Amino acid sequence: MFGRKTAPPADGSGEALRLEGVRKIYGTGDGRVAALDGVSLSLPAGSFTAVMGPSGSGKSTLLQCAAGLDRPTEGRILVDGAELAGETEAALTRFRRERIGFVFQHFNLLPTLTVMQNVTLPLKLARRPVDRGRAADVLRRVGLGERLGHLPAELSGGQQQRVAIARALVARPRVLFADEPTGALDTRSAREVLALLRETVRVDGQTIVMVTHDPVAAAHADAVLYLADGRIVGHQTAPTAEAVAERMTHLADEVERQRVPSGVAGR
Amino acid sequence: MTALALRSLRKRAGAFTASFLALFLGATILMGFASMLDTASGTSGTAHETLVTMASVVGGWGLLLVVFAVTSTLTLSVRQRSAEMALLKSIGATPAQLTRMITGEAAVLAVVASLLAIGPAVLAGRGLLALLHDTGQVPGSVPHAFGPAAISMGVGITFVSAVGAALLTARRLARGRIADTLAGTDSGRLTKKRIAFAGLFFAVALSEVVVTVTVMKDEGSGAMATSGQADIFAALGLALLAPAIVRRTASVLAGPLRRFGGAAGDLAVTGMLRRTSTMAAAVTPVILFTGIAVGTLYLQSTENAAVAAAGVVKTAEDKNIETLNFVVIGMVVVFAAIMLVNTLVAATAHRRREFGQTRLAGATPRQVMGTVAVESVVLTVIGVACGSVASLFTIVPFSLVRVDSPMPEGDVWTFAGVVALAAVLTGATVAASTRRVLRTPAIEAVAA
Repeated sequence: MFGRKTAPPADGSGEALRLEGVRKIYGTGDGRVAALDGVSLSLPAGSFTAVMGPSGSGKSTLLQCAAGLDRPTEGRILVDGAELAGETEAALTRFRRERIGFVFQHFNLLPTLTVMQNVTLPLKLARRPVDRGRAADVLRRVGLGERLGHLPAELSGGQQQRVAIARALVARPRVLFADEPTGALDTRSAREVLALLRETVRVDGQTIVMVTHDPVAAAHADAVLYLADGRIVGHQTAPTAEAVAERMTHLADEVERQRVPSGVAGR
Repeated sequence: MTALALRSLRKRAGAFTASFLALFLGATILMGFASMLDTASGTSGTAHETLVTMASVVGGWGLLLVVFAVTSTLTLSVRQRSAEMALLKSIGATPAQLTRMITGEAAVLAVVASLLAIGPAVLAGRGLLALLHDTGQVPGSVPHAFGPAAISMGVGITFVSAVGAALLTARRLARGRIADTLAGTDSGRLTKKRIAFAGLFFAVALSEVVVTVTVMKDEGSGAMATSGQADIFAALGLALLAPAIVRRTASVLAGPLRRFGGAAGDLAVTGMLRRTSTMAAAVTPVILFTGIAVGTLYLQSTENAAVAAAGVVKTAEDKNIETLNFVVIGMVVVFAAIMLVNTLVAATAHRRREFGQTRLAGATPRQVMGTVAVESVVLTVIGVACGSVASLFTIVPFSLVRVDSPMPEGDVWTFAGVVALAAVLTGATVAASTRRVLRTPAIEAVAA
């Protein structure tokens, strides 16, 4: 199966994320669209995976379902062995804040809170003890040790994204999901952010799943999953930017080849 | 830019509801009272005088309220579209073009609102005249007329106040830098002009107080004419100072709320300190509502007590004046209440993205509701406290004149009732509109 890594993870701590037959259908009747059409995957702890695909391939939906921001129509999702279940938003929120961290394209820092307040907010909301020393440490590691009292609007885009990463890391998530984390950044800031993500994987054994459309960003990951029409259509380890770009260029043809026979049979 | 104004009105009707309602109600009240001038044109003597006084006195401070309400709702709606404004600036719209767009929107709203208000205003004018007939202040043979004075004053004043308010709002906006507009924070520091206007309103309120205790000292119930408006001016003055009051209160409450309020208390305090102007805009209607309602109700109960103490049996005319008093003030209080609901709904709807971001940071819907609840409690307390202070400008001088004591006559439950109503209106409105905003999934709320 695509995306299933059979090799044992480097640190031996097991599986961080598992999706089993996840489907997500939008709309009803003739307007039904399957944004995800039976996605199964398993990612070991301490892995850094990029999810790539053309626009509309379902990569954002995949991220949102896997991260508990949206409920799949069908299938199971397990984060660090715990099944993502629960009907209410409150239940999903509690699940997320114990296990999942996010980084978004547009940072989503609260404009009224300082850097420090933004970073400690998830802990406060989860009623966990707020270790300001650790928060300051994490902020120092992302290079913002001098900016604790600044408001987001006083920082550059790259700095804001690093605050967002610190905010995600401070709660020690099992999996960190990043949705186009460099999409709104200049090349230099983008490279810094990617290096930072890479480092948390190397140093802390953090598990990261990153959705991107940028081959350079994807090249920072250990492995790339290719998504098209809501299905995983390819897998590549130790990617280089050139190889990823090459693969993306031919992805459309590849998908077309895979789809034609099954498409005819299905309809 | 005019085309853009029309288009944004048509496509985003919801954003303008608050301003539209304020204009519509304001125009109704203005025209209703102005129609007394049309009615007066066919009369002479006392009846003529009564009608003209009615139109000018009540209509006069009605005008003040309308300008105030329109300015505050319009400022809110423009601030809510700050991202859109920043976008227009960044693609090359000059400040003059933005000003034209905002005033254009306001002008169209004003014309439509005042034309639609003609029907209700005719009914309001008729009702008003019927009351004057019943009190015998105007002979029953005088028919109600709704003509040029009502329409020109109603449409004219509404139009001028809307455009004036829009110009004020636009000037402030156009001067700001793009980056500031996008930052989404403000310290709520008072401008010199704002302080000057607040001082002016307090001066008017104080002069009414002085006139009441000196010139009107022996006029008995006539003292109502001067003391009755003092609370409105004082409330407007306090409303202008609201940002400073909110900031001070929030910094005093910051310690205890952060310690005992949990994450919700923490978020509420930070919001009040960093987004003071928006919060202050929500306090304004609470101040007006409480100030006017408390002031007028105790004015009347003191008057009743004074009449009773004089051993005079209340005449039918006294009773009718009382009714009239309640009707007039009732309209203003209803106006303030609608403005309150209006402002709060608009302010909450604007926080969709903020709520979404808080939820993505790990807040359950309940924690968001908790934050909003803490905020509305603080806002209500500030509003009620300021409103009560404003009401003293009416109550104390009138009580001194009528019952020789600064304390009014009347039931403490009247005050409790007004406070409870203010609290329920604020709480219920905020809770309902927040719940509605929370129905959008968090990830969609931040994308918009």
